[in-house]
Amino acid sequence: MNWTWFHKLGSPKSFYAITSRWLPWLIAAMGAFLVVGVLWALLFIPPDYQQGYTTRILVVHVAVAGTSLAFFPIMAVAGTITLVWRMKLADMVAKNAAPLGAWFSFVTLATGSLWGSVMWGTWWEWTDARLVSMLFQFFLLLSVVALRSAIEDNDKAARACALLSIVGCINVVIIKYSVEWWNVLHQPNSPVGMSNSGANGPEFWLPTLVMIVAVYLFLAVSLILATRNEILQRERKAQWVQDLVASS
Amino acid sequence: MTVKHTSTSGAFFATLKRDLLIAYKRKNDLLNPFMFFLIVASLFPIAISPDPEQLSSISSGVLWIAALLASLLAMDNLYRSDYEDGSLELLLLSPQPLYFMVLAKNLSHWLVSGLPVVLVSPLIAYMLKLPAESYLPLFLSLLLGTPVLSLLGSIGVALTVGLGSRGLILAVITLPMSVPVLIFGTLAVQEPRFGAELAGYLAILGAMLFFTITLAPLASAAALRISVN
Repeated sequence: MNWTWFHKLGSPKSFYAITSRWLPWLIAAMGAFLVVGVLWALLFIPPDYQQGYTTRILVVHVAVAGTSLAFFPIMAVAGTITLVWRMKLADMVAKNAAPLGAWFSFVTLATGSLWGSVMWGTWWEWTDARLVSMLFQFFLLLSVVALRSAIEDNDKAARACALLSIVGCINVVIIKYSVEWWNVLHQPNSPVGMSNSGANGPEFWLPTLVMIVAVYLFLAVSLILATRNEILQRERKAQWVQDLVASS
Repeated sequence: MTVKHTSTSGAFFATLKRDLLIAYKRKNDLLNPFMFFLIVASLFPIAISPDPEQLSSISSGVLWIAALLASLLAMDNLYRSDYEDGSLELLLLSPQPLYFMVLAKNLSHWLVSGLPVVLVSPLIAYMLKLPAESYLPLFLSLLLGTPVLSLLGSIGVALTVGLGSRGLILAVITLPMSVPVLIFGTLAVQEPRFGAELAGYLAILGAMLFFTITLAPLASAAALRISVN
C-alpha cells in the first residue's frame, strides 16, 4: 500500500490540497448524521418513565461530553509532534484545538446544567464528579488558550503550549480520579436519579450513537476548517497561497 | 589547561547553596510569603464570621487555600531574577543535567517560601479555631503538599518567565493543576475527625510528591529551554 499521502499530510500545502478533497465528504456525512441524530433525539425518543422528555437533552449532552474528552489527547499528541519533529502543521492543529475544546467543554457543562435543572432541581451540583472534573478540564483548556495569547513569538508559543498540553493531559486524568474520590469520601449523598442507568434501552442509545458520530465528524470538520484558515494566514507570503487567492 | 569536572551532586548542592544564600541576603523576600499567609488567613474571620463554630468548620480549607496562594505569589521569584541577570542562561548551558539544577532551585524555593508557611500553620490554625486533633494532620499534609505545589508551579513559571506581565497568567495556568493536592490535603485534615485513617491520605500526598519530584522538574527544564532561547 502506498503511504506517501500520509507523509504529505505533514506539509501545509498538501494538507490543504488533500483536505480540499476530503471536506465535501466529511461535511456531507456530518450533515446526514446530525440531521438524523438531532431529529431522532428531539422528536422520536419515547419519554422515559422517570425522566420524561428530558432524556432528549442527554443525547446531545453525552455526545458532546464524550467528544470533549478527545481534545487533550489530540493536543498532547500534536504537542509531542511539535516538540520532537517541529512540524508546523501539528501546531496549527493544536492551536485551534484548544479554544474548540474549551467550547465543547462549555457546551457539555451548559447542556448538563439544563438537564440537571430539571432532573436534580439544581443547575450546579458539586457532588457530581463528572461536572466538577469537566469544569476543571474547561479551565485547563482555557489556560492553554491564555498562554498562547500571552506569548508573542509564534514558535515559542507553539512549544510552550505543546508542553502545557502534555502536562495538562496528564493532569486532567489525575484531577478526574481525585474528584471522583473526593466525592465518594466527602459527600456520600447524591441527589436521586443521578445515574443515567434508567435510560439505556436501544431506543435511547441508538440515537446517542448516531449523535456521537455526528459530533465527532463536527469536531473533525471544524478542526480542519480552522487549520486551513491558520495555514492560509501563516503561509500568506507563499506563492501557492497567493495563486490560490488570485484564482478564487 | 586542566578542566575541572563537577559532579552532578556537586552542581545540585552548588545551585542549592547559591539560591539559599541569595534568599538569605534578601530577607524581605523571605518574609513576604509568610506575611501574606498570615494576612490572608486572618481576613477570612473578618469576611465570613468570627463565630468559632463556623470558623472551625472552614478553617482547614482556608488554611490550604491561603497556603496555595502564598506559594503561587512567591513563585514569581523562582526564575525571574536569574532570567534577568543572565545566570539562567548559564545554568542552561552547563553540562550538568538540568533536571537536578531545577530540582535544587525548587527545593531552595520551597525551603524559603513553603516551609515557613508550614511551620507557622499551627498558629494560624489556632486563630481559626481548628479542632485540636486536626493540628498534626494539617501540619503533615502541608509538609507533604506544599512541595508539590512548588514543583507544579515551577512548570508554569518556567513557561512564562520571559513574558512581560505574568502575574495572572501564572495563576490561570497553575491553580487548576493544584486541584488534586488541594483535594487530598483538605481531606487529610477533615476526614480523620470522622474516623478515617490519616495514613491513607498522607500516603496519597506522598505518592503525589514523588510523582511530581520525578516528572515536574523534567517539564520545568523543558519549559525553561523553550522560554530562554
